[in-house]
Amino acid sequence: MTDRYISKESLGTLITTVNKSGGRFVAPVLDARQVVYKEVASIEPVVDDYILPRNSYKEVAFPQTEVIYKYELNRAGVTIDPVEIEARETIVFGARPCEAASLASLNSVFTWDFIDETYTKREERVVVLSVGCINADDECFCTTVNLSPKSTTGSDVALYETDNGYIATPITDKGKAFVKTYSASFADTPKGEKRKELIDPEKIEGVDLTKLGETLAKTENYDNPKWAELTRKCCGCGACTYSCPTCHCFDITDEGTAFEGERRKNWDACQFDHFTLHASGHNPRDTQYKRYRNRFMCKFHIYPTKFNSTGCVGCGRCIRVCPVRLDITELMEAMSK
Amino acid sequence: MSNLYIPHLVTIEDIYEETSDIRSFKLVFKDKELRETFEFKTGQFGLYSAFGLGESTFCLASSPTRKGYIQCTFRKTGRVTNGLGELSIGDTMGFRGPYGNHFPIEEWKGKNILFIAGGIALPPVRSVIWNILDRHEDFGNVTIVYGAKTVADLVYKEELRHWDERPDIKLIQTVDPGGETDDWQGKVGFVPTVLEESKVKAENTIAVVCGPPIMIKFCLGALGKLGFSDDAVFTTLENKMKCGVGKCGRCNVGDIYICKEGPVYTATQIKTMFADF
Repeated sequence: MTDRYISKESLGTLITTVNKSGGRFVAPVLDARQVVYKEVASIEPVVDDYILPRNSYKEVAFPQTEVIYKYELNRAGVTIDPVEIEARETIVFGARPCEAASLASLNSVFTWDFIDETYTKREERVVVLSVGCINADDECFCTTVNLSPKSTTGSDVALYETDNGYIATPITDKGKAFVKTYSASFADTPKGEKRKELIDPEKIEGVDLTKLGETLAKTENYDNPKWAELTRKCCGCGACTYSCPTCHCFDITDEGTAFEGERRKNWDACQFDHFTLHASGHNPRDTQYKRYRNRFMCKFHIYPTKFNSTGCVGCGRCIRVCPVRLDITELMEAMSK
Repeated sequence: MSNLYIPHLVTIEDIYEETSDIRSFKLVFKDKELRETFEFKTGQFGLYSAFGLGESTFCLASSPTRKGYIQCTFRKTGRVTNGLGELSIGDTMGFRGPYGNHFPIEEWKGKNILFIAGGIALPPVRSVIWNILDRHEDFGNVTIVYGAKTVADLVYKEELRHWDERPDIKLIQTVDPGGETDDWQGKVGFVPTVLEESKVKAENTIAVVCGPPIMIKFCLGALGKLGFSDDAVFTTLENKMKCGVGKCGRCNVGDIYICKEGPVYTATQIKTMFADF
């Protein structure tokens, strides 16, 4: 399929058309003075001058909280009422190419052996329209993890900004089908409309992903004093995990009374001290550096070796939101040595 | 079933008060068909629901050879287990599973089996014990070393009496120093010490050891002294779990998910794992 073009005006029509046909259109908007991914009904609130929205769009397939089922207790026993998984067409517009790689990683966790349909049923209906970055900030490090504003991994349609719209390159079958379904919004590229130049964020020279992986795979490095030294300032707030597009940890809890209620699947974070606390009081990750180490190992050892996927996409959100300015790339450099 | 996290409903058919705070349930699936078809292997575990409170992970404490029901044993220690502690015979709870790997008992045919358990870690071992005893003709001698802090903390007291009386089993019971009563007939001493003193022969013998991490650590040492190779020693790891199916991110030891690739490991495997348990 050849490149198509969508003007900003047509983008507005696309948003209303998707909404009218029962779909969700998620795009970066300004909310409480921050750019965040949110569902929109029209183009008005959509912004295009942003580096990266503050939240990850993983929540379209893996909501912060969701009801798994409802229960009712009565004289006859217990009745379970499974909740239908709300899976409708969801368009994520303005995804950055780094983050686009993340859903495939989440997919690998939610489908190995056991299939978690609360995730897959939604993810199957997600169409990612990435927009190549023309700006970056100091926290961006996609090129350090072998991605870049040019990457198309995980994009269904890769969009590139022009003066008045976007040049659209369909990447996947899903993306091609999307462009076909909404063909009225797409046109041939008008003369004079050219892709704006993409930014090329600097690669952090001291990071060597291969070496980093080798270091982490060795059990003798597990209690390297560097872990505690470099992460001492971590306060365990978990902000990195909540903003991270590949963090997948969750909790299962009951909310309700002895008579009725619901079981929920909620985001959780490996940074909390109770996360791995045994009933006996024993805690395998009893200090903060062990919890930080777990998250770091997850990104650079577990995801790549166990799930054969990208653990860290270099979006830099964990650095931007960190209240103590703990920079994951410092650890990446230290562990590459 | 399309949703992994929806439990089966089970009825509490019987309750056994093992100690002042440890309880066992005999559970029967409400679904008649499932009651007939449910299968598991010894060593596997499940997630047990107290509706309105949540889920907890316990092993399947009964043997797969006993059809029609499952058993679990737990200590009343948190929100869910205290809730389960308040349930009565006839009440409904939830179960999902079986999950995890199992003890490879088919590979142990013809071998002697040595069981070692401490405190509330007897339930997972008990599943294997009954599985072996129900097919004793396939296996060699059975020795059980079981200890608890005090006499009052020993679980399955009825079964201990039964095993003690059986001529085809050697049962060594012990309590920690200070935990004995005036009429205590067993040994006084920590499990690893009693194990070492037992002089159990390592030749053609498989050891299954379950207990608190510190007990496992010293038992592995004792088994080494008795001549057991690490490949002949099996244990289970017990990290906190919420999903049981390799998604929620809690139980991993390095890149090994205990809920999926465990909970059963050989001492050889344990010794190569990250220290995250």
